[in-house]
Amino acid sequence: MAPRKLGFIGTVKRYWQLWAMALPAIVFVAIFNYGPMYGIQLAFREFDFTKGLTGGEWVGLKYFKQFFDSPLFGTLMANTVRISLWTLVMGFIFPIILALLINQIRSSKVKGFVQTITYLPHFISTVVIVSMINLFLKPDAGVLTRVLGVIGIQSDNFMGDPNLFTPIYWITEVWQHVGWNSIIYLAALSSVDTALYEAAKIDGAGRLQLIRYVDLPAIMPTCGVLLILNMGNVLNVGFEKVFLMQNTLNLDASEVISTYTYKIGILQSQFSYSTAIGLFNMLINFAFLVIANQISRKVSNSGIF
Amino acid sequence: MLTIAVSKHSLTKNMSEMNWVSDLEAECDCVIEWQEVSSDWDQKKQAMLASGDVPDLILKGIDMTDIATYGSLFEDLSDDLDAMPNVKEMFETDPTSKKIVTETDGSIHILPSVKKGWPTTVSHLYINQQWLDAVGMDMPTTWDELYDVLVAFKEQDPNGNGEADEIPFDFHAPSTDGFGNYEPHLLLGSLGLTLSNKSGTGYFVDDNEVQNFFTDERYKEVIEYLNKLWSAGLINKEAFTHDYSTAQSTARGDGDTAKVGVTWGWTASDRFGAELADQYVAVGPLKASADQTEPVVGEYLADSLSYNTIALVVSATTKNKEAALKVANAFYGEDMSVELLWGDLGVDVEKTGDHSYKVLDPADSSKDSSTWKWTETLADDSPGWIRPDSEIEYPADLIEVQEDEVPMQSAFDAVDTENDIMPAFLQLSSDDLKTIQLNNTTILNTAMTKFSSWVTKGGVEDEWDDYVQTLKDANIDENIELYQKAYDAYMAE
Repeated sequence: MAPRKLGFIGTVKRYWQLWAMALPAIVFVAIFNYGPMYGIQLAFREFDFTKGLTGGEWVGLKYFKQFFDSPLFGTLMANTVRISLWTLVMGFIFPIILALLINQIRSSKVKGFVQTITYLPHFISTVVIVSMINLFLKPDAGVLTRVLGVIGIQSDNFMGDPNLFTPIYWITEVWQHVGWNSIIYLAALSSVDTALYEAAKIDGAGRLQLIRYVDLPAIMPTCGVLLILNMGNVLNVGFEKVFLMQNTLNLDASEVISTYTYKIGILQSQFSYSTAIGLFNMLINFAFLVIANQISRKVSNSGIF
Repeated sequence: MLTIAVSKHSLTKNMSEMNWVSDLEAECDCVIEWQEVSSDWDQKKQAMLASGDVPDLILKGIDMTDIATYGSLFEDLSDDLDAMPNVKEMFETDPTSKKIVTETDGSIHILPSVKKGWPTTVSHLYINQQWLDAVGMDMPTTWDELYDVLVAFKEQDPNGNGEADEIPFDFHAPSTDGFGNYEPHLLLGSLGLTLSNKSGTGYFVDDNEVQNFFTDERYKEVIEYLNKLWSAGLINKEAFTHDYSTAQSTARGDGDTAKVGVTWGWTASDRFGAELADQYVAVGPLKASADQTEPVVGEYLADSLSYNTIALVVSATTKNKEAALKVANAFYGEDMSVELLWGDLGVDVEKTGDHSYKVLDPADSSKDSSTWKWTETLADDSPGWIRPDSEIEYPADLIEVQEDEVPMQSAFDAVDTENDIMPAFLQLSSDDLKTIQLNNTTILNTAMTKFSSWVTKGGVEDEWDDYVQTLKDANIDENIELYQKAYDAYMAE
């Protein structure tokens, strides 16, 4: 017999304990995420502080046009997409590889040690990380400059080369967060039924085949969900880090939407213009999220909505 | 009771520890509650202004730009001058001080600060005299001679430690939002282009006409010269990427071994540290070529260094206007002005006569005098009027900078202060200002990247025309027109 359809009220009555547990989170999201959304009308108005957020004159898409017509628009978009896609893809692949490798370690002591070492950098603040990058990559004297010089990678000034900005950004980003991000995969791997390994071994599977046919399928759903969630942030390149790494030599490759919005919005108090850019940014992110979700549903039958 | 917000330097001690504060409370017969902000003032200010909730007085935090947008939050003081005799006297004695804060409609929202003894400019070029002696060369007077000297610095181990660790030429890194002090655009003076206010974003005035040097041939010459230095390995490799503190510490060398040959700084002891300062002397005017007839001019910032238009504002909605005006007036008293700038009488400053003062050496001998005033009091930009007839024995840092400007004096004299100066305190409407800033963001993004790339990689000759066109597309001419309009209005007053 098909379960009787409960209406919304019915569900709430029946599962009121679950709703009660979710309530604080719902209220939080409503107040802090949905509430402030009335402010986005600022993007369509001329901000006038005497009349408040909602009182300015309606100017429609003026500020969007201004952004699209700006000579910087192309560069900003290209930089933002390039930096974020690299970070997204690499930041997605490496934790999976690391998790699979750590999972192969037999000794639990060694395993714990490796895990701790790899996720420690996650807790260093961005400002410190960027100072470290600057020091290590100093021309001539930096530690990494010398090491890289020995293996044949040379540059007059790593931090000043626009072509190297994206690689430096994503490599350090991956280095910092790979350990932390692999934890969730390790959790998924630890729940794999050991009988599957034994069965596979009896069928003659080697180590690589175990990874390929047992481990990978086991973490696939987790991968899917994480990828979708990350897609939603595709244009939100970490503002702090890019901003701190910027200098006049690499600005060509390092000016992204968020740093531009900061310069326009906060430093020059052009609130309407920066809101318009922010809103545009969110729409693109939202589109990416929906697309990723659709693909995931088609491919693996799992999605977040 | 009055609430006064003050944007303080991070070194400055608490307001309650300053003696003049209690004199101030006695003067207004009120209790003052201080809101002391030592970091991120600009961001906090935006929030404060946008919400419309401002304290009774704000010191050192509100500029004319803010007034263009948020003027209605603050009291128009032009009709309150009778309640502030000190301010009234200042405006009568020194008309410039009134002109710079009077808005186009005649209202005055901000009171200025007026100082004395400050130099003409901030950036002074220094050379290591010991190194010059070591390589047996004379003080350079042209770009070519400078080049030869720098080559000698690089090759002949002038610091004598046996290592090729000399950095012949260094400067502070130009930032992505324009040029600043101690940066290489200063070489434009060699070609007779007078840098003054707003020159960080490229604007300058020639014969009462506003222009932008980003599209000027002389700027191209500077870039070509810098590229020549760079290609020869004479400029610090980190010059475009180091931050302020790294740049400062590089110039301070290693113990008594100097590392840098030629660079810009405020004073020798500030730039090179007490230990090395004696090795350096200020460089005089440098001609671009030996046979040029155009006189070398110095960067001229005298007005923006001696005056400031961010000293004090009074809230339009203050409950106790009388007390607020009394406080404002008290700041401009003769003693109080000195105390706000250099520290408490009897502690940091000695009153040696009715109108004469002696700024004492720092009580903490490990601090230099320019750092000391920032720890003791509100220092620069605070409300106050150092009267022209007050006799001051200046602190060591000012004496040093006054002396270090002597070699450049002929270049400062060559400046046509009537027709070639961009005034520090132009009045712009908020719409014009917005347009200028927005255009500048795009202009600077192109100009600053190109500058550093041309200096380090060359190519200015080939790319110049395209670059000029890009800047025109970014509305550089519109900005020039807006500044011209404001300039004409200012000069007509």
